[in-house]
Amino acid sequence: MPDKKTPKLDELEHGPWPSFVTEIKKAAVRNESAKDLLNLLERSYDDKRGHWKHGGIVGVRGYGGGVIGRYTDLPEEYPHVAEFHTMRVNAPSAWFYKTETLRTLCDIWEKHGSGLTNVHGSTGDLIFLGMKTEELQTTYDELSDAGFDLGGSGSCLRSPSCCVGPARCESACYDTLDVCYDLTSSYQDELHRPMWPYKFKFKMSGCANDCVAAIARADCSIIGTWRDSIRIDQDQVKAYAESGLDIQGMVCDKCPTRALKYDHEKKELHVIAEDCSRCMHCINVMPKAVRPGKEKGATILLGGKSTIVQSAFLSWVIVPFMKMEPPYTELKEMVAKIWDWWDENGKTRERLGELIYRMGMTKFLREVGLPPVPQMVFRPRANPYVFWPQDEIVK
Amino acid sequence: MEKGPANPEVKEKVLAYLDTVEKAKSKEIAAKISVPKADVDLAVKELAMEDKVEYLYITTTFVALKGKVKPPQ
Repeated sequence: MPDKKTPKLDELEHGPWPSFVTEIKKAAVRNESAKDLLNLLERSYDDKRGHWKHGGIVGVRGYGGGVIGRYTDLPEEYPHVAEFHTMRVNAPSAWFYKTETLRTLCDIWEKHGSGLTNVHGSTGDLIFLGMKTEELQTTYDELSDAGFDLGGSGSCLRSPSCCVGPARCESACYDTLDVCYDLTSSYQDELHRPMWPYKFKFKMSGCANDCVAAIARADCSIIGTWRDSIRIDQDQVKAYAESGLDIQGMVCDKCPTRALKYDHEKKELHVIAEDCSRCMHCINVMPKAVRPGKEKGATILLGGKSTIVQSAFLSWVIVPFMKMEPPYTELKEMVAKIWDWWDENGKTRERLGELIYRMGMTKFLREVGLPPVPQMVFRPRANPYVFWPQDEIVK
Repeated sequence: MEKGPANPEVKEKVLAYLDTVEKAKSKEIAAKISVPKADVDLAVKELAMEDKVEYLYITTTFVALKGKVKPPQ
């Protein structure tokens, strides 16, 4: 427990939801840095300002990413958080661990740090919160011996992350776990040695439900889809109808492209394949009756990000359909061209989407050698990019 | 991706340039020493492994000679 009273933090323990204050208090019983962390946080609430300094030069030998320096600006008053660095541990695909592995990680962390973790927050990494500089290398060495590596931080490739994919989901249109592992293994330099204008994120979702929110968060989103038509089991459609599902109202009328037609009398569902945008709505409502098509792969999108230089962007479709089969050569060749272009043209702290926005999609597509296609729209079904360069217009 | 060893001459040029500045981005180093950036990235990687340079994160990632930039006071 903290030495001092923490009335403001205590308020955050009220209510039915979990409280990070409660968890830090548990750690504070046996860890001085967790105790100082609580006291410092209460102080920040009193002062109405943070007392942290971010960044620095902490790291392990040969690595430029994986450790983020954190220091308090009140080291004399809170000596146990004078250095309170964050270490990112690269997580396994879709975050599958054996209990034994989690125990190993926690044992390492309790031995060398505060014991506080942020397991799979927004970065996707397993994060250790609160470590002294002198413990960095030994902690890394023990993690490495246990089969783990650091994740990305800084201006590099961030740890790729993916949904559970075919491990647990019948909607997955490709093996997200394998792509995540393959990209992580292939791009070790890009992950550990920052070399770019800013960060770059891959996120893999097995279908358009996009359970990892790739479209809003990743510079390159790889979202599963299919090229042919959805498959409909009419016996199951009848079963849904007889169970009381309003197929016209809940499925057909909510289809964003009105690609579904329901025959009330025959209790049959039909799709106009060329109008289907593969949004997954019908499959989500009637998973036993409607399935993705047989010819599966992924749509590649670029440019998703939160607010930095520009406002938040959703990703743009770049390749409507790409087969996703090992060793993923087509994807990697395209990514290499995109990285070269971004590295050559990007300003410091400019994400790929911001660079495309600044220089124009036309220029981007021409210089990386991608063909313009109708699916490249700024806003779905509203603003297609038009590629009529001045020198090609006949007056 | 296997990229092979770094060019020793490029490594020397990188060290020499970093000696003249507090910190720099790889792109800036490449421009200043007139070497392709990919070669600089490779040289920096090896120099970091040799503990001669280190990565420095201040809103974006820079490279600096080991120990040249002190932690915040």
